[in-house]
Amino acid sequence: MEEYNSGEEVSFNADEASVSVKECIEGIIGGLDYNQNKVNQWTASIVEHSLTQLVKQGRPFKFIVNCAIMQKSGAGLHTANSCYWDTATDGSCTVRWENRTMYCVV
Amino acid sequence: MTTQQPPLSQEILAQCNQQAMEPWGSRKLRQSRQGSISTLRSSLSRDQQQQQHPRYPLLLPRGFLPIESSSRSPNISNPNSPFIRRDLVALTKRFSFGGWLQGSRASFSGLPLHQPVQLENTYKTEPEKGCLFKASKVQKLVQAMLDSYLDGASYNAASGSHLSQILSDMVKSKVKEISPPRYKLVCQVVVGQNRNQGLRVASRCLWDSQHDDFAVAMFQNHSLFTLVIVHGVYCE
Repeated sequence: MEEYNSGEEVSFNADEASVSVKECIEGIIGGLDYNQNKVNQWTASIVEHSLTQLVKQGRPFKFIVNCAIMQKSGAGLHTANSCYWDTATDGSCTVRWENRTMYCVV
Repeated sequence: MTTQQPPLSQEILAQCNQQAMEPWGSRKLRQSRQGSISTLRSSLSRDQQQQQHPRYPLLLPRGFLPIESSSRSPNISNPNSPFIRRDLVALTKRFSFGGWLQGSRASFSGLPLHQPVQLENTYKTEPEKGCLFKASKVQKLVQAMLDSYLDGASYNAASGSHLSQILSDMVKSKVKEISPPRYKLVCQVVVGQNRNQGLRVASRCLWDSQHDDFAVAMFQNHSLFTLVIVHGVYCE
């Protein structure tokens, strides 16, 4: 979900990261309904695949990927993040996805 | 006289170029020679001078050398003269030595520094022993904060987003106080209404597992739940 620089002066490209993460989500839970038994496996696969795709970009960054999947029940959900880092090199991106029965925030 | 001067300056420049290729041990000499190269720059092409700069990105911001030469030689009209150049070399040698030792913040002529400070390499790849991110300590701190701040709170759609932002800033500033130096922090807060729905949060990180760590704290009551994740990442 965000990146951390560990050396060279390259800045984080949020657009590229969000595109690859969105593709991962679509590939794993696109078209499926919320299933409590499978949600563990879905979150694990989403974070693993997203991380693999981000690493394939070949940038000199450390990565932290978070994924939250919530069943749609009329309840509200808010997420916020606050970061203490070097704004020139580090950045974050958030991807929101939903279908008929669940929300996914990465 | 005038016809002799250009060949002489090119010869000296060639010498300077050769000596600039010396290893780091001869730093003093090299600095003085770069000072002399700056005076020659007014008569010769800029290319040679610019070739010198990439070798020392940390120590020689481009703007400095002209200031240095102009401030040190206010009365000199012809910088190409060999005798005056030697004086300039001596002057720049003294000032450049002191200036560079003090770090890039020093301004040779006393003028305010307009260029961004470039920090030198500390050659540290690991945190000091005992200066690691202590996940258990951070977890206790964050849990205590959540318990005290959210005790008796109830979920409100209008204030939910505001609450999550306030919490994340608060947690970040508190953890910053106790986190060791050279650590970057990422604080994530999830606030939701408690209506017996299912929620799963997973996190995976690509980092140095020996020096980087995270802490999680959770709070829930009858109407809301809050999850706080704090990641501490070492900055090389």
